[in-house]
Amino acid sequence: MVDATNGADFSRVDVAAITKTFKLQDRIFFFMTLASAALVVLMLLAILVVLVIDALPTFQTYGLSFLWGTVWSAPTEKFGAVPAVMGTLISSLIAMLIAVPISFGIAIFLTELCPGPLRRPIGTAIELLAGVPSIIYGIVGLFVLVPLMQLYILPFLIATIGQVPVIGYLFQPPAPGVGLLTASLVLAIMVLPFITAITRDVFLTVPPMLRESAYGMGMTTWEVARNILIPYTRRGLVGGVMLGLGRALGETMAVTFVVGSVTRLQASIISPSTTISAQIANTFGEADGLQLSSLIALGLLLFILSFCVLALAKWMIGRSDSF
Amino acid sequence: MEDTIRQNIMSRRYGRNRLMMTLSVVAAGLGMFFLAIILGTLLFHGVSSLSLDVFTMSIPAEGSRGGLLNAMYGTAMVTFFAILIAAPIGILAGTYLIEYANGSKLAEVAKFINDILLSAPSIIIGVFVYGAIVVPMRGNSAIAGIAALALIALPVVNRTTQDMLLLVPNALREATAALGAPRWKSMTHVIYRSAWTGILTGILLAVARISGETAPLLFTAGYSKFMNAGFTGPIATLPVAINTLAADPGEDLKRLAWAGALIITVAILAINIIARLMGGRRQ
Repeated sequence: MVDATNGADFSRVDVAAITKTFKLQDRIFFFMTLASAALVVLMLLAILVVLVIDALPTFQTYGLSFLWGTVWSAPTEKFGAVPAVMGTLISSLIAMLIAVPISFGIAIFLTELCPGPLRRPIGTAIELLAGVPSIIYGIVGLFVLVPLMQLYILPFLIATIGQVPVIGYLFQPPAPGVGLLTASLVLAIMVLPFITAITRDVFLTVPPMLRESAYGMGMTTWEVARNILIPYTRRGLVGGVMLGLGRALGETMAVTFVVGSVTRLQASIISPSTTISAQIANTFGEADGLQLSSLIALGLLLFILSFCVLALAKWMIGRSDSF
Repeated sequence: MEDTIRQNIMSRRYGRNRLMMTLSVVAAGLGMFFLAIILGTLLFHGVSSLSLDVFTMSIPAEGSRGGLLNAMYGTAMVTFFAILIAAPIGILAGTYLIEYANGSKLAEVAKFINDILLSAPSIIIGVFVYGAIVVPMRGNSAIAGIAALALIALPVVNRTTQDMLLLVPNALREATAALGAPRWKSMTHVIYRSAWTGILTGILLAVARISGETAPLLFTAGYSKFMNAGFTGPIATLPVAINTLAADPGEDLKRLAWAGALIITVAILAINIIARLMGGRRQ
């Protein structure tokens, strides 16, 4: 009687009391998890509320015309969102134009061409590129890429494309090395590993049967990629590109170092310029009053912008695939 | 006649294939090249700037001896407390979303909101914490930095916990329930244990991510040249110190920035590799 239960005498155990404690503990645990989940949701609301309240003076002063104001000048207290928003949109767009083809190329290489033993090391190396902090991209960009741009690439662009009638306006001096195009290049290198990883993952979801039948019919590797991989995964691909775009839009440090921080609306994409995040990072510290409020209003715009891009990306990808 | 047409088509197809595959190999080479350039630049400037002083002294004025001790301490301290806050909340939130409310409309919305937070621009988090904590406290503080980083780590831990709990077979939940174990005991004694490596990997990845963040710390934790162990004063972190020192005209301070860049990158890559190894062993 005693040996089987290690000496415990179960006849005296009060089952009702234990059940009661367990129920209580269960409720406590449940409410802890519920409160934590609610906290995450509340945090997003808190962010929106704080941004809106702090941005209010700007919208009270300018109304919605803040959104299409083209002048940003602290000395004259005139603040319009267009220069920074344009900088953000243009630099992200150019970055995507550069990064997407290269990412797709790497993903095709990793899934179709790469010899087996090299697949993991190369894949890991590219994923490690994604782990490098953004400030590192900033200083490497500033000390390596900017001199290259200033001495060789930009003068070449000015001398060639800069002379073409209409699009020449995009390549007008001054070109001190820092500028939108330089920022776009750094951004492209930053989002590259990110888009590559997603692209490779969605390429791997293509059923081997489809791929093999295509090869069996005599398709070349490129035709398989073009006619099987890309059409089959197009939603995931577009979603991955959108996630990369979301990154590029919000990236701060890498851009701040190399964009030049000149707040003026201009046609040239090689001249010093600014983006929303660079504008905030550079002037937030010494700003007050209306300028501070306008910077926060810019931040709110950036938040809304990246929210839309992300929502679109989620909708394209479907939830379970990737984040 | 027909043969030459066929040959033409074939040679065009193979020609195009060769061209595109060459481009694809070039793209992969380019990716490796970028990694090599970044690591090479860091090693080139960083190693020559390393010295014992970097690890034993605080940030100097230009011209005198000094190091990054206070910034390294700051990064370790702010990251540690941010994870200490974010990890339990993130795990519990993920638990609610998968174990208690999975499939409900409300949980779907909460998951979506978490994903939005996960990818929100980090500078926005900085601006938010500035408005919510720095302004009321009238100044930069380690607390504000901790709050900002916790807010960035929270959705990462939450999301990883969700993904890992989904991998735990339902039979385990049913078995513990059949034994009469209360839900919380089944979670802590069985479910968390079987998902543990995955959750820990997520926490490590969150550490890697927040310890390299600069933008959310610029106006929250701020910057200080001095060793500051307290919670209420401004505190330097490695990324913010790199940001400040790299922009300094002084050559010595610039070298210190490179040393800091090398240290933080090596540390973060090491955490990433450890997390990857742990995650790999699970499968």
